[in-house]
Amino acid sequence: MTTEHFLRMGDGQKIFMTKEDIRADIEAGSADAADLGEIPAMSENEIDHMLDIITSPGRIVGVEPGLEVPVTHDIGSIRIDGDQGNSGVGIPASRLVGSMVHERAFGADTMELGHIDYSYKPVKPVISHECQTMEVCQQNMIIPMLYGAMPNMGLYYTPDGPFENPGDLMKAFKISEAQDSIQHAGDHGIRDMVWIMQKLQKVGSDGVNFDTIGAAGDGDMYASLNAIEALRKEFPGIYIEAGMAGELVLGMHGDLEYDGTRLAGLWPHQQAPLVAKAGANIFGPVCNTNTSRTSAWNLGRSVTFTKAAVEASSIPCHVDMGMGVGGIPMLETPPIDAVTRASKAMVEIAGVDGI
Amino acid sequence: MVVRINVLLPHQCGFFHIDVKEVVNTANEELFKTLSDAVVSCKKDDVIAAVGKAKGKAPAVELIDNGLAAGMNEVGVLFERGKLFLPHVMMAADAMSAGVELLQDELGGSEGASSKLGVIVNGTVEGDVHDIGKAIVSTMLQAAGFEVHDIGRDVPVQNFIDKIKETDADMVGLSALMTTTLQGQKEVIELLKENGLRDKVKVMVGGAPATDAWAKKCGADCYAENASEAVAKAKELLL
Repeated sequence: MTTEHFLRMGDGQKIFMTKEDIRADIEAGSADAADLGEIPAMSENEIDHMLDIITSPGRIVGVEPGLEVPVTHDIGSIRIDGDQGNSGVGIPASRLVGSMVHERAFGADTMELGHIDYSYKPVKPVISHECQTMEVCQQNMIIPMLYGAMPNMGLYYTPDGPFENPGDLMKAFKISEAQDSIQHAGDHGIRDMVWIMQKLQKVGSDGVNFDTIGAAGDGDMYASLNAIEALRKEFPGIYIEAGMAGELVLGMHGDLEYDGTRLAGLWPHQQAPLVAKAGANIFGPVCNTNTSRTSAWNLGRSVTFTKAAVEASSIPCHVDMGMGVGGIPMLETPPIDAVTRASKAMVEIAGVDGI
Repeated sequence: MVVRINVLLPHQCGFFHIDVKEVVNTANEELFKTLSDAVVSCKKDDVIAAVGKAKGKAPAVELIDNGLAAGMNEVGVLFERGKLFLPHVMMAADAMSAGVELLQDELGGSEGASSKLGVIVNGTVEGDVHDIGKAIVSTMLQAAGFEVHDIGRDVPVQNFIDKIKETDADMVGLSALMTTTLQGQKEVIELLKENGLRDKVKVMVGGAPATDAWAKKCGADCYAENASEAVAKAKELLL
């Protein structure tokens, strides 16, 4: 009888597959990334290594001693308190307590302060509160404390913002109007993100995390890269982390450029050099999980994209790992078997510098 | 068309028949390819020029199905591969509509490709303010030939039902981007049942936390991973 190994679907469902089938899925996932990104697929040795990781009998796996990498947490400051089904555990705790628990109990290497809305635009009216909390955190903590939020250009469009919704304009075939709206929103986003970080830098923030860049398409990426460039110019010592929303920059505008490169349609290995050029210290490549595929297929695909980004990047790459990204299933609290296997593969095969 | 030409030929050997068919098919294939390429170029003028040249050389339905619509499918593939972007999809759709319009007189009373593929109501469920992914899906469905009524985000459950009744919709697309709002998709499905509409209206669910398993659990007809898949599954269910 053929031995079957436990793994998961992208939606977290438990499944059992033979080694041969798992290997075929890893290969297919890698081939999909290679085809889309026009990058090398995983080698036979790398596929064998991933197969060993996935079929390892233990519930959790870990990297070999000496290969440990730094870990940081987006919005971890409210992960203890959060109870909205977003990985929070609903224990009443301030953001300071949440951050200190991560620093002193969970072993986080860096931390970030984040607001419950977790987008830059809504931070504007509460900036004084954010500055005060940042200052208190800095006074109590040792590890680097960044400020983090999503560029989230969606908040600049109607009905949330001043600019007409490009989705509505596009559907009415008002294409140039839609593009203008995206450009204007991007320009406002740059101004807001820079202003917010100017305030937070004054109270001792160690840096900034641009989280889920590109979530609203190429306008989002345009705003983020220009904000990074402006902040690097104004604060030469600021630590800037730039993490993406997905493996592909969606072309909502289609023609926006940064440094002469069109932003729409960029894959992780093409995003990394631009992020470095803008002035970031860390690049966070992302590959979204396909919930209809196995974790083997997803991990093969994610590692292939991430490895190419690591190789193309002149700055360290801290891969985004969690709910529905990095080959990890789409569950509020991702299962530890999948999280540890994906993390080990990212470190040992993709060669990431951090998570 | 191929048969008619063969009848006129002096040599009636089977071998010759095949050669002629191939020549004719090749000619048509070139015609279709020109139309398809024009759509992929996303330029309305190119499509109008290509249709002008092709008109009368093959049945209008074939020019649309094998030429213009094939080009639109190619645009969808290129969008998924990150080679073409949303504005290009819309420009291509606009160009294709102009091409179809030129062929209207030849379509006569037959059911041409100009007829709507189906009516779809699309929206993000109540409590969820995410709009962008759903807007892309609406755009792609519209570009593919569906009549789409995008009723926005944070849509109260009853509004879906009202719009479905108002537009006599064939399908409803329900988007949710948060685990906390996913339940809203099920609520719409339950209300469809209460209103006696469930058998008539297909339900597609989507959004980051939605999955195939969730679609089955909440009683939807399908789950779509992305905009291209949404188009494919809508065609599968409605055509």
